[in-house]
Amino acid sequence: MGNSKSFFEFEAVVSSWDILLKGFAVAMFAATLATALAIILGLVVALMRLSTVAIYRWIAFAFTQFFRGVPLYVLLVWVYFGLAIAVNINLSAILAGVITLALLNAGYLSETFRSGILAIDSGQIEAGLALGLSKQVVFKEIVLPQAFRIVIPPMGNQYVDAIKDSAILSIIGVPELMRESQQLANLYYQPFEFYTCAGLLYLIAVVLVSRGTNKLEKRFYTHSAQN
Amino acid sequence: MMSNSNYKFDWNVIEKYWPEILKGLIITIQISLAGMAFSILLGICLANGKLSNNLLIVRISSSITELFRSIPLFVLLFWIYYGFSLKFNFALTEFEAGVLALGITGGAYMAEVFRAGLLAVPIGQLEAAYAIGLSKMQSSMFIIFPQAIRIIIPPMVNIYIGLLKGATIVSVIGVSDMIYVARYVSLETFAPFELYSLVGIIFISLTLSISGFVYLLERKLGRSKVDG
Repeated sequence: MGNSKSFFEFEAVVSSWDILLKGFAVAMFAATLATALAIILGLVVALMRLSTVAIYRWIAFAFTQFFRGVPLYVLLVWVYFGLAIAVNINLSAILAGVITLALLNAGYLSETFRSGILAIDSGQIEAGLALGLSKQVVFKEIVLPQAFRIVIPPMGNQYVDAIKDSAILSIIGVPELMRESQQLANLYYQPFEFYTCAGLLYLIAVVLVSRGTNKLEKRFYTHSAQN
Repeated sequence: MMSNSNYKFDWNVIEKYWPEILKGLIITIQISLAGMAFSILLGICLANGKLSNNLLIVRISSSITELFRSIPLFVLLFWIYYGFSLKFNFALTEFEAGVLALGITGGAYMAEVFRAGLLAVPIGQLEAAYAIGLSKMQSSMFIIFPQAIRIIIPPMVNIYIGLLKGATIVSVIGVSDMIYVARYVSLETFAPFELYSLVGIIFISLTLSISGFVYLLERKLGRSKVDG
């Protein structure tokens, strides 16, 4: 401080821009894939939780409690370093990261989906059955579309969390934004500039996703109001 | 792929090193509690700022809240420990940097919880307090706050669970917490599976017992859910 250097030195950040953007793309890819997997898995777990078969309910309950209780970092090192030795599965870093993120988010999303499905008025189901529709059709055509609208905001939040959590994947060497920022920060000895830049990129992603979620939610509400 | 699936779980490692792991756990708990204290202070300031009559203060508090809710804890930790401290010649210990990062992130979440809690107390309560001659300070301390705290406590404990889980990443800047211990012991013993399993089990029992406690608390306080 106090010498001829400027407060924020742009040159190194600007010249490494393509590396940072590539890292950002990897982070978004990991977060998006993990969220997509988590939605599918979460829905399966939510349905198991609502099943009439007790054993399914118990498995789903244990799944939810486990993955909501364990920190991402702990699960990540357990999967990537621990499991690799114990069962001799060698996952690539990105695969281990995406699986871990997906499992954790599925734990949260299953609860979201469950409460979304339970929030549908039972009169809707009874009316569907009274019309002579089968149970499956009632669920697919009546319950799910309405429940989907309810779970849009929490699903958006979960996606945001996945984007933020993806920074932790840098620990096992996934070449995402934070990993690249760390390496560049060490290379140029400019941690302040590179971490500020990384923070801004995450901020932009999070703000865009939140805006998108709000828009999606509004569209679904006006759509349903018209019908 | 699974050539030696009959892996033998080495209990000796756990038997030998669990006291070390527990020492690490104490550091994890310390750092999360210190971060929690910081986030309560910050949360109260931000919540009051958001409820202020001054539009500028409202804008600033809302922006700070949004900003720190959007930046990953992991990035904030590196920014504080490596970026900020180098730029401003501000030497922080690893522990202090961890507390700051946890506190700032937690504070942003806490602000919303406090705001919601304060707003949930009916305005008539405040008017009645003024009407019987209490000062602004007195009415918020003796009338509003005791009522708001009932609503605030359950989501507050949930934020604490988040901070406790978040505190696991401070080992990356060298705080000798539970994972840090597990990592260096596993380098000696080549038993990462055993050690990380132990850490995971300790964590799950911790978070599950706290959330069980929240569940009971919510039922006792008679409010099922307050959105943060």
